[in-house]
This record gives sequence, structure tokens and C-alpha cells, in this order.
Amino acid sequence: MNGSIVVTGAARGIGRAIAEKLASTGPFTVIGVDLAPELALSEHITAVQVDLTADDGPATVRETVERLAMPLLGLVNNAGITRDARLVNMTDEDFASVLEANLGAAYRLSMELAPLLHEGSAMVNIASRAYLGNFGQFNYSMSKGGLVGMTRALALSLAPQIRVNAIAPGLISSEMSMGIPDEIREKMVAAIPLDRMGTPEEIANTVWWLLTPLSSYITGEVVVVGGGRSLS
Amino acid sequence: MRGVIHWARAVSDDWSDIRGELTRAFDLSRDAAQAKESIVFVVRQEDLLGRRGPGNAMVATGLLSAARTAALEGASKGWTVNVVAHDEDADVALVETWAARMLESKSVTGELIRVGPGHLGKALP
Repeated sequence: MNGSIVVTGAARGIGRAIAEKLASTGPFTVIGVDLAPELALSEHITAVQVDLTADDGPATVRETVERLAMPLLGLVNNAGITRDARLVNMTDEDFASVLEANLGAAYRLSMELAPLLHEGSAMVNIASRAYLGNFGQFNYSMSKGGLVGMTRALALSLAPQIRVNAIAPGLISSEMSMGIPDEIREKMVAAIPLDRMGTPEEIANTVWWLLTPLSSYITGEVVVVGGGRSLS
Repeated sequence: MRGVIHWARAVSDDWSDIRGELTRAFDLSRDAAQAKESIVFVVRQEDLLGRRGPGNAMVATGLLSAARTAALEGASKGWTVNVVAHDEDADVALVETWAARMLESKSVTGELIRVGPGHLGKALP
């Protein structure tokens, strides 16, 4: 069926890989949402530049979905930021900005778009392996843990029409992970049984699987894509 | 016994309510960490599974993840962070006893203790 899928944080990294994967495997029109102007544009990607933390951000996305006049087949809540600090040093701004961007925006957009989601469609929330705990990320970990709770609650309330799942990526090669000092990143890679960082495309493949009928009996779950790091 | 026992409040599904409850937990956690005091979050078991709506679920699972992260920071400093989850009809005094026990323990951190059988056969959070 032809339809649209909304992907947030679509301008770069994991979000861009998701948007490009969905646009290339469609029959979907991808609505890519981001603040940045460098959204990948193709005939299958409609770009929306909007601040999802703003009061009217989610409504702007809804208006775009309605303007396309296609069934909404999926929502991928991917946008996220980090402001790392030890808890003892974490500022109110560090905390509030991460909570608002990673959890508040995803929740408000999900509530805005849920009534538009077509029967049989799916929602995928990009959490993080940090929901299991990660040093110096009280704010990020709380926001991603909250996203897991949101996933479970919406999976229950939107069933049986709509499936809702989460992905918890481990260390993925992206702008966010490239901001980690080399020495620390090398130690992190050494703790991964598969002995490498993941790629944005590997997350995109998992998103695609969770959006399609290939995963038709799966809802309310968290799929950890982390190269086995949770065991080491 | 030095430390803070934080009972998560029930919230609505309005984002400002959810944000307020998570911010309250952050404020007291930072204060406790700066004072090198241990922390116990108390949540409802069904909220870890999302069974009372998204607001309460986001608070409960957000606190559990934050506890695991804060525990990493406290591990080398001598303070602990744990979570006690209880069933709807749990004896409050029993929950308080378990929370106090977790505060006193220096060897258990980042752990989830569940009071009552409501979690049996359900997802591991």
C-alpha cells in the first residue's frame, strides 16, 4: 500500500539512514523531520524543518501528513541529543534539554499522530542501550528509559490496530559517537563482542523490519542492536 | 542510615505533569549524590510494564534507567542507587522495609527489587 512514514531526526546519522532505507524500499513517502536544512531530498522524501520541542512542533508535522493525503503507515521517533555530565555536576539545563528533546518531543508527536496511524501500521522508537545504564548520562539514560516505558504503554493502548516497538542501539558510527574521544571510543569498541561499532544502516534495517509485516506478531518489545555489548 | 527514599507520584498523561515528576527526581538525586547519600526510587510494578498509561510508565522506566546510570557514578564513591517496585495491593510498611534495607546495603546497587508476585511471567524490565 502507498503511504507515508514520519522519521524524526532525519537529517543525519541514524535518522538519515532510516529515511533513505525507507525511501528506497518503499512504496512509502518518507516525511523527514529535523531542524537542519541538509535533509536528504528525493522524490520519496518530503522534508519538514520544525522544532519538535516547540508547542506547535507536533501539529506542524500532523499538518504535513494530512496535506500529503496518504495513509500514515508508520512513525519513527529517532531525534535525540546528549548533554553528558556526572550527576553531581549536571545542570538544570543539561537535564531539561535532553529530557525535552528525547522524550517530551517523541511523546507529544506520538500522541499527535496516533489518531492518524492506519490500521496495521507501526511505531518504532529509537531508544538506546544507555537505558540499561551508562556513566555520565543520567539525563540521557532517563529519557531513553522513559521512551521504553512509552513504548510499552502505547503498545498496550494502541493494540491490536497498531504495533509499537523500540530499538536500543549500542555504539553506532555516527556524528554523536564520533564526538567521543578516540581513546575512550577504542575502549568501548574493545568491550563489544562483535569487535566493531554498528552502522546506521544496521539500525535502519531493524527499523524497516519492525515497520513491516515481517514482525507482525511483535509489539511492546525492545530490540537491542549492540553487537553483544550487553553481555560483556 | 543516610539516604533518600523517593516514592514516584502518580501522574496524568500530560507531558508537563510527567516532566515535573522526572525533574523532581533529578533534583533530589543530584542533591543526594552531592551529599554522597544513597537513593531508592519506589515505583509501581505495573508501571514498568506500561499498564497504567504512558505517563506513569515513562516515570517508572525513566527512574529505573536513571538509577542504573547513577549507580555507576556512585559505585566508586560509596553511595548506591536502587529501585523497589511493588504491586498495587502491596503492604506499604513492607515496601518501606525493603527500601530501607536497600539504603543500608553498600554491596547492592543498580538493582531492581520487586515486592509481590505481580511481575512473575511478565517482561523483565
